[in-house]
Amino acid sequence: MDRMEESLQNNNPTAKAFTLTSAAWFALATSFGMIAAGYLIAPDFMANIEFIHFGRARPMHVNAVLFGFVTPGLLAAAFYFIPRLLRTELYSHKLGVFNAIFWNITVLSGMIGISFGYTQGREYAELPWPVDIMVVISFTLVVINLLLTVRNRVEPILYVSIWYGMAAVILTACTYCIGNVIWKPDTGALVGIPDAILLWFYGHNIFGLLLTPLALAAAYYVLPIETRSPLYSHTLSLIGFWSLIVVYTHIGTHHLLQVPVPTWLKTISIVDSIAMVIPVMVVLINLWLTVKGKLGAIHASIPAKFIFTGTIFYFFVNIQGSMMALPVVQRITHFNNWVVGHAHIGVFGFAGVTALGALYFILPRITNKPLYSKFLADLQYWLVLIGITGFAIVLTIVGLIQGNAWYNGETLYRTLPEIQPYYVLRASLGAFIMIGAYLGLYNIIRTLYFNRGAST
Amino acid sequence: MYYPYFIAYMASGFVISLVIFFWALNKGQFNNQQRARFLALESHAAAGPIKLSRKGRLHAVILLIMASAGLVTSMIAVTLIVLNLVG
Ligand code: HEM
Ligand code: HEM
Repeated sequence: MDRMEESLQNNNPTAKAFTLTSAAWFALATSFGMIAAGYLIAPDFMANIEFIHFGRARPMHVNAVLFGFVTPGLLAAAFYFIPRLLRTELYSHKLGVFNAIFWNITVLSGMIGISFGYTQGREYAELPWPVDIMVVISFTLVVINLLLTVRNRVEPILYVSIWYGMAAVILTACTYCIGNVIWKPDTGALVGIPDAILLWFYGHNIFGLLLTPLALAAAYYVLPIETRSPLYSHTLSLIGFWSLIVVYTHIGTHHLLQVPVPTWLKTISIVDSIAMVIPVMVVLINLWLTVKGKLGAIHASIPAKFIFTGTIFYFFVNIQGSMMALPVVQRITHFNNWVVGHAHIGVFGFAGVTALGALYFILPRITNKPLYSKFLADLQYWLVLIGITGFAIVLTIVGLIQGNAWYNGETLYRTLPEIQPYYVLRASLGAFIMIGAYLGLYNIIRTLYFNRGAST
Repeated sequence: MYYPYFIAYMASGFVISLVIFFWALNKGQFNNQQRARFLALESHAAAGPIKLSRKGRLHAVILLIMASAGLVTSMIAVTLIVLNLVG
């Protein structure tokens, strides 16, 4: 290994800071999720503690997983692999570490704000205005650091992970401002239907143009290395990237198929939702052909195991998503737990699990020591896998019960007792995930700071 | 009237994508695709051989079964919904 590579490998305080951020918020966010799940079983659970009643715990959970756990986890990986792929140093680690600290202050302010009742009340855009501004600053700092790194590159060709990573942060820095209507600080919203349309342009971009590309960037980087195989086709990967950019940017209206929005917008969103099969299958065929015949290698490696599992959930969530965008299917699946199931499969099963794999990939490389405990990481894998698969099954069943009851005009008081056992099951499965999150946090802190393992 | 804003928004996204695409084309980003396949591998010092294990294979099989079970179940669910609503 030459000297530059060695220095690249040894010092990555930025990736370390984002790793710790992600692990800590994963633990906190699942704790908020458990509180919310508790309220759904027993609505007077923790009665009178206004700071965490359901209406506040839910957005705290959702914002903490999105902006505290998944995004920083995937960014930690990006801060590692982007400079490496470009054969250069990150433009500024000082800026990177500052960025991570500021990021934490931002998410924490958001949580405190929501728990005190300061919310803009629009899903995925709940954070109050000052925090919105802080989020924009955080993303802008990431963009500046990474763009200047790309400009200083030694390797002229941009590997597909760089395309995805850069697109994710640049697009989010822009769409966050638009979607949160930051030019209207008092409400953070437009009025009436245009607001719903704008919100879902933004909302879907958070999954499709932030989490998805960042996670795919990590998968395209880690899987070839962990299976010692070159990418099956770089051309195919670029086709996947460009088709995602063209198709995904305007499918937000599929969240509003039951709402009086213009039909042409609905039509675009439905057609493009089905067309999503193209970018998705292109990516998956490419990744799966890359690792073809290497299943053993995948399961011998903790990062590859997480990320390969992420690709399976990616397949699943997208096929499911394309079907949910059909109005006839959505008549049953809309406004109930089916969508919550889809949300967990996508944001957690795909993006979150990929983030965990990416963290386990970079950890030994940024600390130059083996992982503190492979056993704990493996245990976390199984806890998370059982938890999320269980979520998918349980929430889908509840969704079908609720959807059919509603469709057939049944009254609510008959349905509620029917779905109670499923809510208990969901909370039990949530416990698996939450325990996994705390074990992961412990393992990561030990690996980063208290690891006596021999240097590699 | 809000249509013009949305159309402008969507169109500007499309135009910016086109500009970046042609920048990449001119910079030869799409030329040497064979070498690009190896970039991730090259960015790393050669890692040691992979240690395979029976446990690993078992993981893979269990995962595959779970994934197919999930897929089959949701396919059945959606087919039933469609049959129910259309029929
Ligand atoms: C082919 C790709 C996809 C399509 C066509 C799709 C489609 C949909 C549709 C139609 C809905 C709205 C359901 C309803 O309200 O009735 C939805 C919701 C959702 N999707 Fe997807 N999806 C896709 C991929 C993903 C991915 C990859 C993620 C996560 C990374 C994701 C995360 C979510 C979330 C979190 C919601 C819930 C939104 C809410 O709170 O109402 N989706 N999706
Ligand atoms: C301890 C584990 C978890 C529990 C108990 C849990 C519980 C919940 C609950 C109760 C809700 C509200 C659902 C409703 O309003 O009916 C929710 C929503 C949500 N959770 Fe979790 N969750 C957990 C882990 C996660 C993780 C790890 C992620 C992502 C990485 C995640 C992402 C989401 C998202 C995106 C939503 C919004 C769904 C929607 O609006 O459709 N959750 N969760």
